[in-house]
Amino acid sequence: MAQAKNSKGGKDNFTRNLVIAVVIGVVLIMLVPTILSKQTDTSAAVPSSVSVEDGYGMVFNKELQDVPFIEIYEDFQCPACARFEAIVGEYVEDLINTKKAKVAYHPLSFLGPESQLAANAAGCAADEGKFIQFHKLLYANQPSENSGAWSAGYFSTLSLGLGIQSKDFDKCIANNEYKGWVTNVANEGAKRNINSTPTVFINGKEIDRNTAYNSLGDFMLAVSKA
Amino acid sequence: MKEKFVVLQPWIGLVARLILGGVLFLAGFLKVDEPDKSQMAVRAYEMLPISIANLLGLVLPFVEVAIGALLILGSLTRFMAALGGFTMVIFIIAIAQAWARGLNIDCGCFGGGGTVAPGETKYLQEILRDLGLVFLAIYLIRYPLTKFSLDKNSTNKPSQEDVE
Repeated sequence: MAQAKNSKGGKDNFTRNLVIAVVIGVVLIMLVPTILSKQTDTSAAVPSSVSVEDGYGMVFNKELQDVPFIEIYEDFQCPACARFEAIVGEYVEDLINTKKAKVAYHPLSFLGPESQLAANAAGCAADEGKFIQFHKLLYANQPSENSGAWSAGYFSTLSLGLGIQSKDFDKCIANNEYKGWVTNVANEGAKRNINSTPTVFINGKEIDRNTAYNSLGDFMLAVSKA
Repeated sequence: MKEKFVVLQPWIGLVARLILGGVLFLAGFLKVDEPDKSQMAVRAYEMLPISIANLLGLVLPFVEVAIGALLILGSLTRFMAALGGFTMVIFIIAIAQAWARGLNIDCGCFGGGGTVAPGETKYLQEILRDLGLVFLAIYLIRYPLTKFSLDKNSTNKPSQEDVE
């Protein structure tokens, strides 16, 4: 069609300009909601035990002073995070229970929609006082990325094993109630230059990527040195 | 020989347009719904202040889609080829500096990105690919008149190829 117009030696570039306008218009219409959805909403609901000043992390032993502060940035769908959890998960849980460390979990969602759902569900579990247990369970049941396995119904069923039987919990998952919080966690992670998961800080300093992520011994050493 | 080139030139231009535009469009399209990953990929180059890197990570996929689509359609071919070539040169510089500084990152060109394990980097392939695209862009800047394009034929003579 355009060819026909050209061979007539059309005086103006009407078709072309229209196409340019349409393409740029469509792209802008797509860009604006993306930018808006990435804004931090400080009024968004946050799950219990979330600490806004700690980058919206899920914080345990917040009141403790003079103990190492461990910050874990993770994505529930990331295989390396599942490995890390398998290696140090129990030890960190122990540190929390024996009040030997302050720990902040930051569930990121960059791997896609199911990471977002999982992070939201973990927030819902926190309201039931079962964040750590749910966290562990998610990694133990990690499917391949965005395979469709992780859904609201799946998380509700999964949590039955933790003894969570609450309407609020199911509603929280089904309604994606902490969507805003998950976005805020992601934004804070982005501001902190988190470029891979897991990323772990102890007292604000990242642990050694070559050793401490892969060995419990090295990780324990890093904690004890802090 | 020269006459042969005159005949072939708009066809070569069409191929160049479709490859350069196609790669840009695909690269952008794969990233538009993954803004977190895209931002991470830009940050991982450690070239820009974090806030600017995050903004670029958000906007760049959309820019790539727009340039790619307009190149495929052949609108403003010369200008779009220049823009596309310019972004490729920037990518080459970014990848080269990451390589030189010993960062271990994925270029994140088609989604993904961020820090990868040492030994999993593909800097040379990435640079060669982008270099090839720069040459296509240069060709289109030099010969912007291509087959099946929306651009007006500036020579103003009804072109025989079109009629046939």
